[in-house]
Amino acid sequence: MAGAASLRQIAFYGKGGIGKSTTSQNTLAAMAHYFDKNIMIVGCDPKADSTRLILHEKAQDTILSLAAEYGTIEDVEMEQARLWGKGLFDKETPGGWINCTESGGPEPGVGCAGRGVITAINFLEEEGAYDEEGLDFVSYDVLGDVVCGGFAMPIREGKAQEIYIVMSGEMMAMYAANNISKGILKYANTGGVRLAGLICNARMTDREYDLAKELATRIGTQLIHFVPRNNIVQHAELRRMTVVEYSPYSDQAREYKELARKIVYNDMKIIPTPVSMDELEDLLLEFGLEDEVDESQVGKAAHEA
Amino acid sequence: MFILGFHFPADMGNNVPDEKVVEKLADVDLSDVNEVKLLMGTKDKDKQWISYTNKDTFLFKALVHYFKEENPDRAQKYMIYMNRYQMSELSKRLDAADDETMKLCHNLDSMEQFRIEVA
Repeated sequence: MAGAASLRQIAFYGKGGIGKSTTSQNTLAAMAHYFDKNIMIVGCDPKADSTRLILHEKAQDTILSLAAEYGTIEDVEMEQARLWGKGLFDKETPGGWINCTESGGPEPGVGCAGRGVITAINFLEEEGAYDEEGLDFVSYDVLGDVVCGGFAMPIREGKAQEIYIVMSGEMMAMYAANNISKGILKYANTGGVRLAGLICNARMTDREYDLAKELATRIGTQLIHFVPRNNIVQHAELRRMTVVEYSPYSDQAREYKELARKIVYNDMKIIPTPVSMDELEDLLLEFGLEDEVDESQVGKAAHEA
Repeated sequence: MFILGFHFPADMGNNVPDEKVVEKLADVDLSDVNEVKLLMGTKDKDKQWISYTNKDTFLFKALVHYFKEENPDRAQKYMIYMNRYQMSELSKRLDAADDETMKLCHNLDSMEQFRIEVA
């Protein structure tokens, strides 16, 4: 595998819309700013929004779009596909730096988005992006409801070694977290990938911490951090900035700093033990996310009940 | 595994015994603290001060440790949500018989923001 032996390759997985890209960029920003870590982001989501807060841009050119423009991936130059972070995250600014790439994907309804991930990682390896001097972390930001083969590429090929699942205390996020654990389990022995923790990007619902903690415990991992909802995240996003840059002494910046610290020092990387659908439903019932169903009423229309 | 911000090595698993967390707080100096004051809420009209004085509990020690850590000026400090949820979680097992502590745990379990001072 490319890169120095000390290089840590992490990935943020989670269902679409859970706040993965926001959480990952804010956390990586804190790792660079407060802990002097040098990071490369590999955005693996077709909507290519994994780097905009670091770059202060709407969306950077993706590797697939550049390949389409030039006709072949061989004609794409690394400095077109990989951009240095702006402001605090520039290579010339004191502290850690961040550089950014986006795999991109096909037009909606056409082709396989996972192919973009594969193409992007191969391109970056061949161009020596993983060998950048001083690089501490590579971070993959991956859309992953059901861990399709393409999106599983970073774990399947042993690229991402430690996986953080971004979830919240609502049913589909928990379902996706459990499913992603199943994907990790499948490749744990062949690729060495490990689950490193759940990150609860809170919706601020009742007992959300208890629910997220319980799921983490049952899967065999830790709830590494509970990120509260705070409007300052949206305020920063409107300026295409991370909270760390927008308001470094804010309460929310302290939350991301703490999550960053935990990731930097985290040594808990496990093979997950996903729960069955029945167990997951029991958990949701226990915490009030689903109502108990009267079996005698199942299949009956409203006028029959 | 991280509990109250303390790191517990991975070989301890994901179910660290409470006594191991208590051990981490063994050296917390309570001699200069008589009261923990918590400001609950964010909107001015809803803000509420809560006084907590039960020095014999795990929660008191944990709160004082949280306040003093990297805070040489003893300034009011924002409470990380995860830390206070974990404090409450442990307190419910360690000090279940203490009504004042259980009442505070009920507040700490909420979605409100908290700030901490000591006197």
